[in-house]
Amino acid sequence: MARRYDSSTTTFSPEGRLHQVEYAIEAINNAGTCIGILASDGIVLATEKRSTSSLLAVPKTSDKTYPLSSHITCCVAGLTADANMLIDQARLRAGQYEYQYQHSIPVEQLVEHVCNYKHSYTQYGGLRPFGVSFLLAGWDPIHKYQLYQTDPSGNYSGWKATVIGSNNQAGKSLLKTEYGDESEGGTMPTINEALKLAIKVLNKTMDGTLASSEKVELLVLTRDEELDECVHKILSEVESQAIVQEVEKEAAAEAAATVVVS
Amino acid sequence: ARNKKGTRNETRERKDQSHLRISRELFEYYVSRNKSIFSRRYRIKFEEMSILEYNGAAIIAMAGKNCVGIASDNRLGIQAQTVAMDFKKVFKITDRLYVGLAGLATDVQTLEQMLRFRNNLYELREERKMSPKVLSNLLSHLLYEKRFGPWFVEPVIAGLDDKGNPYLSTMDLIGAQCETKDFVVSGTCTGNMYGMCETLFRPNMDAEDLFETLAQALMSSTDRDALSGWGGVVHIITPEGVISRELKGRQD
Repeated sequence: MARRYDSSTTTFSPEGRLHQVEYAIEAINNAGTCIGILASDGIVLATEKRSTSSLLAVPKTSDKTYPLSSHITCCVAGLTADANMLIDQARLRAGQYEYQYQHSIPVEQLVEHVCNYKHSYTQYGGLRPFGVSFLLAGWDPIHKYQLYQTDPSGNYSGWKATVIGSNNQAGKSLLKTEYGDESEGGTMPTINEALKLAIKVLNKTMDGTLASSEKVELLVLTRDEELDECVHKILSEVESQAIVQEVEKEAAAEAAATVVVS
Repeated sequence: ARNKKGTRNETRERKDQSHLRISRELFEYYVSRNKSIFSRRYRIKFEEMSILEYNGAAIIAMAGKNCVGIASDNRLGIQAQTVAMDFKKVFKITDRLYVGLAGLATDVQTLEQMLRFRNNLYELREERKMSPKVLSNLLSHLLYEKRFGPWFVEPVIAGLDDKGNPYLSTMDLIGAQCETKDFVVSGTCTGNMYGMCETLFRPNMDAEDLFETLAQALMSSTDRDALSGWGGVVHIITPEGVISRELKGRQD
């Protein structure tokens, strides 16, 4: 039944669904996991690096995380080629805004622009939607640290913590229980706690294999008050390995504790 | 209204064309057709002024031994009137690359913003810093794009390439580049600046000597120019970092 209504973006199905957009969202569920967590003094973006071959020599710093401007960065889940187009669009827009207003673009404005661009490929005929979801992390003077998720339909939402890519359901359920926040009676995690939480979530979503510094990339976005600029730091192998080991130790300690109690 | 002779103004106007009552814009138009005009009514001399001399500027850049210096004056004027004594015309693009822009102030500001935009995009896309030659070519391209309605700026580029060698270049308002090994100048007193530089310049100066030479050349040149001066600023770019110093000279 869906087959009659799913070959064109510009056709609704009788149930009122846009199948092409939904298929695009499906494409992302096969991509490497991306986790974003809002901390009290920064934002953590953790990504699973899915290198298809050891012979690959990637000239860029990362093929999952990209800076969009001095104060906004993003990580990608989905078709890399589609993502490259959108990232360039976003960088252009951020630059144009700053050129016009001599002020950094507010994070939501950039998210909205990217999403409107994505949306136009779901409404005007002939072109397929972008098979990409982003997690955008940024800081602006109005709303401070923000984390947004975008999907191929052109929808976006702000999050305190979220997961996209493969096994995101499992990841999100773990975040729901583990992410402490003022509204739930807990406190927002610090960056270190957020990093450890991200590794825990990756351990769960990575299908049996444990997170390690070769398979995982950790980025932290913070703000240097003195220089009045944002710092995008991709943790080195040594630093990420340290976080992974801390998580291992805590997991082992927990396991040991439960044994003692019973 | 009646004038002294008792005849009405309208009659007088018909007879005497040189006292035509015309709007200010029309007057300016007629003035622009003649280089200078004496007006019996206004008793003011209007002179055709080049748009590049409307605000006033003086910029010199010089090469030393593994270092470059770039200096500019601080004046912003509207023809003869001085409006600001702290108008910066030299801008940092990267830690090793500075651009000085001389000419119409609004275009100086706009082009600085454009260059910053293009530089940010370059660094995001290519994940590396722009080298001076690349920036010079970019700026030349930006200026030539407006070939038939140009930006009224004459830029000066000073920087160190990735090997640490000095790079100097200048171009005219439509992007004709000129790379040199010794010094480049731009502004309203280029005659003075060329004379001073030619006299004071020696090759392979160290950072301290370079500063002295630049400062003296700039101050002496701008002293004899009405449209530039009010102090200056000198940036000396070395592989270790940049030292910027303010100059105080004749405050006129």
